[in-house]
Amino acid sequence: MSSVLEVDELSVSFAGEDGRMTTVVDKVSFKIGTGRTLGIVGESGCGKSVTSLAIMGLLDPASASVSGTVTFEGIDLRRESESRLRDLRGDRMAMIFQEPMTSLNPSHTVGAQIVEAIQRHRALSRKDAEARALEALRQVSIPSPETRFHDYPHRLSGGMRQRVMIAMALSCDPKLVIADEPTTALDVTIQAQILDLLRRLRDDTGAAIMLITHDLGVVAEVCEDVLVMYAGEVVERASVGTLFRAPQHPYTVGLMGAIPRMAERKPRLATIEGSVPNMRALPAGCRFSPRCPFADAQCRTMPPPIREVEAGHTTRCWKAPLESLVA
Amino acid sequence: MIGLLARRLLQLIPTIFLVSVIIFSLQHLLPGDPALIMAGEEKDPEVIAQIRAQYHLDQPIVLQYLYWVKGVFVGDLGESMRLKQPISELIAQKLPVTLQLASMAMVIALVIGVGMGVLSAVKKGTGWDAAANLFALWGISTPNFWLGIMMIFLFSVQLGWLPASGFVSPFENLSQSLKASIMPAFVLGNSIAGVLMRHTRGAMLQALQSDYVRTARAKGLHEPRVVLHHAMRNALTPIITLGALEFGTLLSGAVLTEQIFSIPGFGKLIVDAVLNRDYAVVQGVVLVTSAVYIVLNLLADIGYILANPRLRA
Ligand SMILES: Nc1ncnc2c1ncn2[C@@H]1O[C@H](COP(=O)(O)OP(=O)(O)OP(=O)(O)O)[C@@H](O)[C@H]1O
Ligand code: SF4
Ligand SMILES: [Mg+2]
Repeated sequence: MSSVLEVDELSVSFAGEDGRMTTVVDKVSFKIGTGRTLGIVGESGCGKSVTSLAIMGLLDPASASVSGTVTFEGIDLRRESESRLRDLRGDRMAMIFQEPMTSLNPSHTVGAQIVEAIQRHRALSRKDAEARALEALRQVSIPSPETRFHDYPHRLSGGMRQRVMIAMALSCDPKLVIADEPTTALDVTIQAQILDLLRRLRDDTGAAIMLITHDLGVVAEVCEDVLVMYAGEVVERASVGTLFRAPQHPYTVGLMGAIPRMAERKPRLATIEGSVPNMRALPAGCRFSPRCPFADAQCRTMPPPIREVEAGHTTRCWKAPLESLVA
Repeated sequence: MIGLLARRLLQLIPTIFLVSVIIFSLQHLLPGDPALIMAGEEKDPEVIAQIRAQYHLDQPIVLQYLYWVKGVFVGDLGESMRLKQPISELIAQKLPVTLQLASMAMVIALVIGVGMGVLSAVKKGTGWDAAANLFALWGISTPNFWLGIMMIFLFSVQLGWLPASGFVSPFENLSQSLKASIMPAFVLGNSIAGVLMRHTRGAMLQALQSDYVRTARAKGLHEPRVVLHHAMRNALTPIITLGALEFGTLLSGAVLTEQIFSIPGFGKLIVDAVLNRDYAVVQGVVLVTSAVYIVLNLLADIGYILANPRLRA
């Protein structure tokens, strides 16, 4: 299977007020194959958005320092010039953001903002670009797209704005779509519609999708592979089936206990005791140890290695495989 | 939008009324009976009575106010005692001079202020940013009269490039007109450029951090387009209002600048009138200035509405 995206030991640090660097994404590695959907889950602040912005090259180099490699369709993005990256962004790779209410420019019409993206990457006349933008709006099932085309963002609801963002992202047929919690800001029925839309688009266009979410329920519904992040690190990686059948990291197990069923998806990941660690003062040893029911002295002093418990299933835990604990 | 505009216009009515009452009262708050002053040395009771009748000074104050308002409406602001000339005529002569000066100053302030504000936000933390901030500080803290005198000294006395004083109408001789007014316009615009620069910088920094700018970058747009079409388009909306209000400041700043450069404008008219106790002229000038302020405010509101799709709809 060829990978559309290959991320290897990607790390991101920010300089704090005092000038000290805080690493918020720590040696994250993964791959996404053509037409596959990878889910990335984890609590708020674990570094999901920063990871995706780093892949897109959208972090401000003045404040963020990035290391590791990101290979997209064989191109080593981190070694490419900014102008080459600009050519890829919005064309071969696109991103949908977490904040539908503020991600569109309030001073330009919805149509103009999509047309702009198309004309940036395709040598189309204004008329043809408009036709294509309208088609994109239709693709994401926006009612009366001809009218919406001329509307300013403030006339649209959050769900509609997110659809516009998706239409914009898809307007140039990207090979990779990064969707950063595309439904978090929206209410439940709209969430289901947007997820449906993403699934349909993947099936139609064959794009690889990196879907970021708080929510294992969403992963179960939409993804084939899943990456669990905790405090800036990948703690478990598996196919969705494997992960739900035999989770191998105590944190994942905790998240599963906290999966809300689709119908009552209100409280999120609330049942794990304790709270996310401060990234500026991480616990020694395993980062999850202060909250882990299995933690022992080794866990509290030495960071656990990544173990492959079966082909394609890895976990960062001293106690893996967890079955041995029960036995 | 029509509704919003109508409301703004309605709100103007009490403002205008209040302003007119204050200006009208000016004449009555000042010490001395205007009729006595106008009657001259002799103080002939007959003449005084005649003046009283002519200017309705024998009528109740409310009627006097109404007569005055009626006069204002037909463009009759009275007559200058000193120059024996209708005040409306004086204003019609002097106002364009000051408006030209203030407009040039505004253009200079906008070009420098907005230009440097955008530059310093885009180049935040670099030498450009530091230089622009220093310039803004200098512009805000340099007194107009000092800068004016220094410029006259340098460009007129030392280098002999520009005339030190005077005014030439642009309809007479455009290049001479520009030459004569470029220094005073720069002096006047300079202080406001600093204010505009700081506001522009702040608004641009905020816009550049916004989610929609991130979206624009995620589309692969080139940085100049991101800055001009996305960030600046939003950052400049509040600058419109600020610019219109600062234009009012320019009009009052012109009083001093016109003195320095001996420009026969509105500022000179009011200074001369005050010094010579030509109260009717003061009243007329204050009235027109207030009117200009009110119109500017209205224009600022309209500009803001037009630039803001949320209000335009
Ligand atoms: N520009 C920045 N400067 C400094 N720290 C940052 C910056 N952006 C993010 N961080 C920090 O990086 C960490 C990871 O943030 P990130 O936004 O990736 O979390 P997330 O997993 O997307 O969370 P959420 O689910 O709430 O969106 C957080 O601790 C955050 O405070
Ligand atoms: S290493 Fe120890 S503390 Fe960390 S998750 Fe595994 S058992 Fe828990
Ligand atoms: Mg996030």
